[in-house]
Amino acid sequence: MLQIQNLHAGYGKVEVLHDISFSVPKGQVVSLIGSNGAGKTTTMRAISGMLKPSSGCITLNGKAIAGLPSNRIAQAGLAHSPEGRRVFSTLSVTDNLLLGAFPRLTFGREKGDVQGDLARVFELFPRLKEREHQLAGTLSGGEQQMLAMGRALMLNPDVLLLDEPSMGLAPLLVKEVFRIIGELKSRGITMLLVEQFAAAALEVADYAYVLENGRISVHGPAEQLRNDPAVKAAYLGAAH
Amino acid sequence: MDVFIQLVVSGIALGMIYALIAFGYQLTFATSGTLNFGQGEALMLGALVGLTLVGHMSYWLMLPLVLAFGALQGVVVERVGVRPAIKTKSEFGWIMTTISLAIIFKNVAENIWGHDDIPFPSPLPTEPLQFFGIHILPMEIMVVVGALALMLAVEIFNRKSIYGKAVVATSNDRDAAGLMGINTSMVITFSYALSSMTAAFAGVLVAPLTLTGATMGVSLGLKAFAVAIIGGLNSGLGVIVGGLILGIAETTTGYYVSTGYKDVPGLVLLLLVLSIKPAGIFGKSVIKKV
Repeated sequence: MLQIQNLHAGYGKVEVLHDISFSVPKGQVVSLIGSNGAGKTTTMRAISGMLKPSSGCITLNGKAIAGLPSNRIAQAGLAHSPEGRRVFSTLSVTDNLLLGAFPRLTFGREKGDVQGDLARVFELFPRLKEREHQLAGTLSGGEQQMLAMGRALMLNPDVLLLDEPSMGLAPLLVKEVFRIIGELKSRGITMLLVEQFAAAALEVADYAYVLENGRISVHGPAEQLRNDPAVKAAYLGAAH
Repeated sequence: MDVFIQLVVSGIALGMIYALIAFGYQLTFATSGTLNFGQGEALMLGALVGLTLVGHMSYWLMLPLVLAFGALQGVVVERVGVRPAIKTKSEFGWIMTTISLAIIFKNVAENIWGHDDIPFPSPLPTEPLQFFGIHILPMEIMVVVGALALMLAVEIFNRKSIYGKAVVATSNDRDAAGLMGINTSMVITFSYALSSMTAAFAGVLVAPLTLTGATMGVSLGLKAFAVAIIGGLNSGLGVIVGGLILGIAETTTGYYVSTGYKDVPGLVLLLLVLSIKPAGIFGKSVIKKV
């Protein structure tokens, strides 16, 4: 589904990612874990076109997407719920969700049942339904995160990128976010998940890659990484 | 008192022209954080192209053609002057390029239409209408109605259509808008087209009330910029109020003090606003989260 080969990317002259290769098979949840500054978000940004990779190959459904502008990558079927949520604060919740379906509403992508998908997103996030006419900027952090995820789902994506969906949320909400990720997984949505809560990420993921200083140091089935003593010591800590 | 009301009425018509040009500044600032300092020249070109066309057809047939010309002119400014600056992340490059293009447009206009100011035939009767002893030109009414109609049309487009929402999304967060599949460079080009179209429209609205000429845009563009700063670069209501304040201050000062000082109150107000509330009277100061 999504394949990344020999990806190099960075900011200006500073290279952050050195030769990253991994893949996200259809219907699976793949997680990237690693400490702050390891390059997790940079990887996500390079995939979705927010950042132009300096070299490497990225394919989505066999189509090369590396270096394309982000709007073309979205049209190709990749949705990215970015770090920091980035909702459109002066637009209503419903408008934010409809914009998630922008390529479908403007002939950039097969239209399908947009209204039906909107109803399904509201079903998945009842809080958003309660606030459908409210401006996104007035939502709480947790609600904004649900909006960012719902907005990404509105593309009806082939692959969904979730970058730190639990960032800055209260523990109860973190649980809720992971419950929803599990729900999406059971619906067969292909996901690439970046998380600081490595333990929770490894619970929901099928496969995981550990990033260290812009390189993949360890990878394997999530269950195997959960029991890997080195991973346990470095990322699973005592708290989880 | 009658004189005063008369001055206010004239000031309102002038103020709505300022508001319309200032609205054009806001359109590009919202999507790209850049301004077209050639707004005044876009207005001038609109008026002069309108003047040439009006020799061959009616004013009402000329209007859509001038609007199309204005939009095209905006696309040229964006592609030639602004896009390279945005692409190279040059923070100030667009200031010089839009000013340079403005000077070029002015020179071209001088060579085509000459240096002299030319009267623009009014499409409406030039006899003033009488309301309770106040004289109002039909063209002044058209200025106010036309300006409000255009701003309202843009507002409805932004609120109701998915393309308009895409423009608002781009103003909110350009990167996130790109992730939604919105072609944000196209949105920026579109905002320049709309902005210059607004200025060209202002040009053919104001021309029958003043004179047309290659230099007509210079002070209009500058004063409208003051209006955009006074009202706030992100407030639609702000430019209307700012425009009215400046327009009325100008006509009343021109009568009660001296026409030589008519620009002073508006510009003093600009200085006051900048020192007391730099985001503008109606402006929301933006807090950038890092």
